[in-house]
Amino acid sequence: MVQPLSGQAIYVVLLRELKRYWRAKARIISSVAQSFFFLAVFGFGLGGFIGGVGRVTYLSYLAPGIIGMGLLFGSVFSGVSVIFDRQFGFMKEMLVAPVSRTSIILGKILGGAATASIQGILLMVVAGIMGAFTLTPALAFGAFAAIVVMLLITAGFVGLGVAIGSTLNDFHAFQLLSTFIIWPLFMLSGVFFPIDAVPFPFQVAMLLDPMFYGVELLRWCLLGAGTPLLGPLGWLISLGVLIGFNALMIAIGTYLFSRAQV
Amino acid sequence: MSRNSIIEVDALTKVFNRQVRAVDGIDFDVEEGEILGFLGPNGAGKTTTLNMLSTLLKPTSGTATVNGYDIIEEPDAVRRSIGYVFQDPTLDLELTGRENLDFHGRLYGLNKDVREQRVDEILQLVQLADRADNLVKTYSGGMKRRLEIARGLLHHPKVLFLDEPTLGLDPQTRRSIWAHIQQLNQQKQVTIILTTHYTEEADYLCGRILIIDFGKIVALDTPDNLKARLEGDVVSLTFKDPEMIAKVRPLFERKDWVRHVHIVSSSNDHAAAGEMMNMMNVMRGMDVSSGVMGRVGSEGAIGKRAPRQIEKMLSTGPVEGSPASRRLILLVDDGGHRIPSIVKLVDEAGVDLESVELHKPTLDDVFISVTGRNIRDEQGSFMEMIRRHRIIRQARGQRVPG
Repeated sequence: MVQPLSGQAIYVVLLRELKRYWRAKARIISSVAQSFFFLAVFGFGLGGFIGGVGRVTYLSYLAPGIIGMGLLFGSVFSGVSVIFDRQFGFMKEMLVAPVSRTSIILGKILGGAATASIQGILLMVVAGIMGAFTLTPALAFGAFAAIVVMLLITAGFVGLGVAIGSTLNDFHAFQLLSTFIIWPLFMLSGVFFPIDAVPFPFQVAMLLDPMFYGVELLRWCLLGAGTPLLGPLGWLISLGVLIGFNALMIAIGTYLFSRAQV
Repeated sequence: MSRNSIIEVDALTKVFNRQVRAVDGIDFDVEEGEILGFLGPNGAGKTTTLNMLSTLLKPTSGTATVNGYDIIEEPDAVRRSIGYVFQDPTLDLELTGRENLDFHGRLYGLNKDVREQRVDEILQLVQLADRADNLVKTYSGGMKRRLEIARGLLHHPKVLFLDEPTLGLDPQTRRSIWAHIQQLNQQKQVTIILTTHYTEEADYLCGRILIIDFGKIVALDTPDNLKARLEGDVVSLTFKDPEMIAKVRPLFERKDWVRHVHIVSSSNDHAAAGEMMNMMNVMRGMDVSSGVMGRVGSEGAIGKRAPRQIEKMLSTGPVEGSPASRRLILLVDDGGHRIPSIVKLVDEAGVDLESVELHKPTLDDVFISVTGRNIRDEQGSFMEMIRRHRIIRQARGQRVPG
């Protein structure tokens, strides 16, 4: 069933997400601080022990991955928040309005992508201040490209969250979701170790993780190179996989949301 | 004077899970400008009906028109014609009152100037102008309800649906919400359909009342006409021993001055809570042993309700394991003069009477006479009870854990 889109409705749902995000200052601070601890402890602590990965320091290697972590968690939970909208009734207010469900969910996805990306930008700044990136003219362009990549990564994962949130009916399944979906996606994304340093079966698992390509792309943007395993065109491969993943997740999320009962 | 129908309902039916007829082929018209009340116990089909009229639920069969638009063929036009204030709170607590209204205006495509002007106007009308820029989570239950009603009117709908508008509010706040509803009905010329299980609310507010039970319309008339159906006086007898009711009942049925005899399942007393749990156990036991699919609450809630036969048994007579009725309701001519004979009859039968009460028929009595049950008996499922409890707590402005 084709549903007409309403720009106004998409915009207003997006606006709501932004307003709610901006008001929850404590949440912003705590999640930025959490990532900072990760960077400090692993970057300086473990980094002092390991040295570096390839030609960059361990902190530099880690930074895009930790930014990716913030994006992943932020976006999936933002998508899953359709459960809360339903639980606390606000969903009905949106569904009884003369706008299509597709408009509502696209607004939700854009809003989730925007807020999670703001989170990612904050982390990028923090990592920069900690000295994770070499300040060159190329970095200015890289940082800009990284923001585009962040929106790309998060939109797909908000879609995944919406798909999950529309399928699950109670939020007690939250714990399961976190343990069995988000953590594996994070752990296999190559945040802590390079893919060419692990055994073959492990490599396959990592290559099946869409988040792996997100982190790869962020490394290309911020460090100027990705894993040798994917070769010099690794960024193009990663971009392709990510776009495909996005299209799939947004389609599935929209479909499941449109079908869900009030 | 003939008035235009703004809603025409034609054999509207909703069946859940292929066997639960939550709404069972109802027909009625709503006149433009009236306040129509759906009166019925929980799970009677009130909310399901509203959800179909508002296009949130697709009917299994039958249809309806709202403001001339078909609910199946033209859902968007229907949605533009209606405002819906849901039973559960649907405000965004993290936004201010003004932002909630602004959000609504945008969803309904109002442009900036119209939006700002209407938001200010409606905030004045429901007396929230001074708190408009506070977060909704700081509002009291009554304020939230007023804001929701205001929001439902922002896009100038022709019809406003109010689902249990005063559930969980204290009597004083309830009065003020009633005053607001009447004022809006008159000033905005908006047709209002409200659901309630408070008879006094229906009596006070509604021009006409539609009594719905097990998905069927059992009465539709003005409150006065409904009460006038019960000619005579209501005498309510409470017995010490529930067993005795069966013994006494035939005595009255034989008298020509007794128009009706009803046994009412006990309710508002101290045993109500225990009775509720007991009923649930009985229902569950029967569900399992008879393999009957539980009746799903009208709201499509998770809660299972007992199949109709079981409910009937529970409400009209003692069921093994459930506390029985202690009250007998008689509709008699010239009640005041009959009380001595009534007491004498009971005495001669050797039954202990606890109390006798005489009053003019109220809507409660009308409800009992058409459904055989007391509307005050919360015959919802256990889950339904918990859900309502949550709504009530939220309405009272407490944070709900989780």
